[in-house]
Amino acid sequence: MMNEPWGKDGPAVAARQVTKTYANGVRAVRAVDLEVPPGEIRAVVGENGAGKSTLMKLFYGLEQPSAGEILVGGRPRVLRGPASAIALGVGMVHQNLMLVPSFTVAQNVVLGVEPGRRGMVDPKTAVETTARLAEESGLVVDPKARVDEVSVGMRQRTEILKALHRRARVLILDEPTAVLTPQETEDLFAAVRRLRDGGMTVLFISHKLREVREISDKVSVMRAGSLVGTVATADATERSLASMMVGRDMSLDVDRTPARPTETTLRVRSLRYDAPTGQSLHGLDFDVAAGEIVGVAGIEGNGQSELAEILAGLRRPTTGTVHVGGTDTAGLDVAGHRRAGIGYVPEDRLHNGAALDASIADNLVVDRHDRPPLARRGILHPGAVRAHADRLIDQYAIRTPDPSVPVRALSGGNMQKVIVARELSAGPRLLIASQVTRGVDIGAMRFMYERLVAARDTGAAVLLISADLTELLALSDRLLVLKDGRLVARFDDTSGLTEKRVGLYMLGVEEHDHDDLTAGLENLGETP
Amino acid sequence: MTTTPMTAIEIEDRSQYRATRRRDFAVDLSMALATILAALAIGFLVMLATGNDPIRAYEAMLTGPLDRSFRVGRWLEDATTLTLLGLSVAIPFRARQISLGAESQVYAGALAAATVAIFLPLPPVVAVIVPMAAAAAAGAGMGLIPGSMKARLGANEIVATLMLNAIVVRVYDYLVNGPLKEPGSSAVHSESIQQDSVLTPLSDVFGIPLGRANIGLGVMLLTAVALWLLITRTPLGYRIRMTGANPDFAAYGGIRVPRVIEWSFVIGGAVAGLAGAHLVQGVYGRLEPGLAGSLAFEGIVVALLARNNPLVVVVAGFFYSYLRAGGDIMEQQTDVGTEIVVVIQAVIVLLVTAQALPNLLKRRMARRQVGVR
Amino acid sequence: MSSVLDVVLSSAFLAAVLRIATPYLLAAFGGLVAERAGISNIALDGQMLSAACTGALVAGYSGSVALGAVSGVAMATLLGLLLAALRLELGADAIIAGIGLNLLASGGTAYAVYSLLDDKGGTTGLKSGSLPTVTLPGIENIPVVGDVLSGQNMVTWLAFLAAPFVAWLFFRTRFGFHLRAVGEMPDAAASVGIAVRRVQYTGLALSGALAGLAGVFLSMGYVSFFVRDMTAGRGFIALAAVFLGGLRPWGVFLAALGFGAAEALAVQLGTLDVPPQLVSTIPYVMTLVALALYAWRRKRRGRAVPAAASL
Repeated sequence: MMNEPWGKDGPAVAARQVTKTYANGVRAVRAVDLEVPPGEIRAVVGENGAGKSTLMKLFYGLEQPSAGEILVGGRPRVLRGPASAIALGVGMVHQNLMLVPSFTVAQNVVLGVEPGRRGMVDPKTAVETTARLAEESGLVVDPKARVDEVSVGMRQRTEILKALHRRARVLILDEPTAVLTPQETEDLFAAVRRLRDGGMTVLFISHKLREVREISDKVSVMRAGSLVGTVATADATERSLASMMVGRDMSLDVDRTPARPTETTLRVRSLRYDAPTGQSLHGLDFDVAAGEIVGVAGIEGNGQSELAEILAGLRRPTTGTVHVGGTDTAGLDVAGHRRAGIGYVPEDRLHNGAALDASIADNLVVDRHDRPPLARRGILHPGAVRAHADRLIDQYAIRTPDPSVPVRALSGGNMQKVIVARELSAGPRLLIASQVTRGVDIGAMRFMYERLVAARDTGAAVLLISADLTELLALSDRLLVLKDGRLVARFDDTSGLTEKRVGLYMLGVEEHDHDDLTAGLENLGETP
Repeated sequence: MTTTPMTAIEIEDRSQYRATRRRDFAVDLSMALATILAALAIGFLVMLATGNDPIRAYEAMLTGPLDRSFRVGRWLEDATTLTLLGLSVAIPFRARQISLGAESQVYAGALAAATVAIFLPLPPVVAVIVPMAAAAAAGAGMGLIPGSMKARLGANEIVATLMLNAIVVRVYDYLVNGPLKEPGSSAVHSESIQQDSVLTPLSDVFGIPLGRANIGLGVMLLTAVALWLLITRTPLGYRIRMTGANPDFAAYGGIRVPRVIEWSFVIGGAVAGLAGAHLVQGVYGRLEPGLAGSLAFEGIVVALLARNNPLVVVVAGFFYSYLRAGGDIMEQQTDVGTEIVVVIQAVIVLLVTAQALPNLLKRRMARRQVGVR
Repeated sequence: MSSVLDVVLSSAFLAAVLRIATPYLLAAFGGLVAERAGISNIALDGQMLSAACTGALVAGYSGSVALGAVSGVAMATLLGLLLAALRLELGADAIIAGIGLNLLASGGTAYAVYSLLDDKGGTTGLKSGSLPTVTLPGIENIPVVGDVLSGQNMVTWLAFLAAPFVAWLFFRTRFGFHLRAVGEMPDAAASVGIAVRRVQYTGLALSGALAGLAGVFLSMGYVSFFVRDMTAGRGFIALAAVFLGGLRPWGVFLAALGFGAAEALAVQLGTLDVPPQLVSTIPYVMTLVALALYAWRRKRRGRAVPAAASL
């Protein structure tokens, strides 16, 4: 495991006039000049599609520049693949973690550079090496645990250990905090600072400007493939960074009038769910009224996904009742839930929110393809499907030349608009919106916010589930907090509520008592 | 709006997009033709390498089937069965179910049609329709077994259909050699079906000798149109397409995916059953050992060639049968083994599945259009 | 019924099980290696057939059994590489490409035999010989075991050694780690610098070679000539064993051995007064039932399919 020599001085990594044009003609990176000296934490920020990830892939050898040159350790290098980047001491922790699920933590750490002689793998040394690296770096892992059985945070630490095991001197972290709890984020930042103090160069890609301000020494801003500028973190504010990113002042505050909740639309009582895998739910009681947005905060993996899927009919609760507009949803299938007036924006649009190879038109009718005006007497009318799509493309500003374009060809934000268009145009009584703005650009984000508030104002009950506390506090009229499958807090007034305060509940430091949680709920205890 | 770089497709306007679509279609079509030519060229080289005269062989193969009217009949009769079998797998393929079970379904259909047409006295017309309905039902039943196993239990459909094929073929063989064998006959086959159950030969319709081709051809064409309408113009067709595109999405949208999967197997099975009825009522007039030959497997190839579009399956079926019919004539006339046709077919399959080739071409043309060097 | 028991407990029957299970075992391990590398090898049957044909022809013309066997295995290995190339270089669907290769093998072998020997049936007219049998010294003196093991073909011995070999390869060697990582999570493997394609090519070559050994056994061990379509779908049964065995080496071993035993039983029962066609459905019915039970059990446990079950 000999690393190739570095130059004595100069930047740890640099790009000189680097341009990357993809085969389909998209120019993702345009003439970028970037220098990062050793021992610095450099944040790279930008909207989705600004070219951050592509630039990082160039540094890691996953892509090759169309023009310009990449420097590692002060010298120009040709990176034919990750192997050559690794050999030069560049490590990368991908946004979608690159681990083999059925392997142990230790096996993943050593994968590709396994200890052992003559083509054999020595499992004992692998475990010892991993344990030693974990000890030295302060990144706590269980070397013998299978990766598919450990927390997301430990998986990410495993990824970093992987890079350390390869003697990385440059560490690229691509949106590392997206999946972490606040506590895990703190720990990660502490570890990253420790690495930096030991001479590591860190490239930190993020959307979250607050975290960027906290962790980085300098910030480079990218927009539309170009590097807009680099500023010392101390001189930057979130507002100034945001305006550099989008090229205009952009406030993320949402204009919304106070909610005017009317009758209860969603009534959840004693909801229990025993999960075969994942998080179980333990006796949830809450209401959502028509005309209000109720946020669900919580560290990911504390039961939000399970709750959303139960309410949408994709999972069946073990016990307890769910009423939507007076309809008991027990025993209804997914279509029945939809007939009861439930709309659902799923958390992972690529998994089940869309059929990527099907057209936009087809994606917009999955819940209504068998009834008028699209289908009559068992015949589905393609003309009607197309007209329906044309209307929604117009109303929801979906950028596409034609309804027959496959959804796969759309950007993240546009794809999400297709899903939101479908769910909102059904006129739901209850809208479950899960991670609506994940991976979409700021323009689309704003659009989603306006639509959610508009839906609320026309009388929908909105249950907003998000990992983004800022988003929750900006949009929610009331806020619930989930922890370990239990409701631990309920805020009926979100004005003046801070992220820090909500964080205490998310982490389980504080908890509302049962009477506060259930105050004012009717028909409690109607089921055991 | 923001200045986010858009993917190529978002910048184009509608007319440009349509132009792209037309161009892609042209590329697809010319690729299909190029594929066939390339496969024939490889066959040419193989024949040359094995010391045969490829020019004479191809002459016999490519002109032979149209030589005499009864040869045309042989082609049409073969194309009818083959296309029905291609259609039968195209439907489950559309739901992304890799059903290889056409063989079990065609034999089940043949058994059902023959049993009814031999033993059940029925008035004219009804005597044609009832055996066909029985065949469709039997084929559908054979589809339902692997379909339910897949839909309800998640059992691998490739393995299930292959096992079912092996079982049904052996049971069929047993029945033709045993209980259903014509009493007193030395050759192995069943009794002939009743005259009223025979599908009218096309020779009677057109007054020229067309061999064993029969009005089953019309049934096949109607089936193809019906299936095309099913896929493109009905809610069930939509559900089949969405299940194939992304089953998780379909389930999220309220579609009962297991039921759709079962339906795709059942519909496919019924069509394969019809192919069995065609063999019994139209071609052989009785049960013969191994009467479907390798047609069931070749139906898969036809469906793949046609990308599972029912109307294109018809075209592919006629083309493929033409090669088969031509191969037999070639063997009679030139002593080149008819197996070369199978080799040519295999090469076509391999070239067709090489997705990267046309995509490469399309991308290159798209790049030229956008003006990127 | 007692006659059935007598048959099953006889050493001749056990010897037959080993012999009949040989091609299933080898082909199933071929299928397993490919499946774990992330590319389904549905072309096992065609690879066996090509190897059987090449082996018999080369041995027949050269007079060297060894050269024949090596050529047969090499041919199947090439077909494995071809499948990998179609998948990796040309973006082909592995299942469809596999169907195409099976078709190619079926047509190609028949065409070759017909062109060379002017015989539609096979190479019975060509003297090609068999691979040698192996008898461990002294083993014949052990009761039962001696009768079962002595005189088994060398390929049968190889087939039974294949199980520990594949298990060792998967879980002890660097290549096995890389293979499993590539099959389960290709992006993860690529991101640590593993040459994903090279691993997959190697895996598919090994898969083809194992299937080729199975094929060579058919035409140069089981019998000593090639017959048109002589695999009789064994490659597909082997594929079934891969899934029944849960993609694990010893599971696949048991499943393939089970098929061998069932077929041997069918052959033996055929001598009694039962229609042979119906008896021969037994292994397939058993597979179908086992497949349903296995799927049902897995569904009830709510477990995901292990590894890269891409089918």
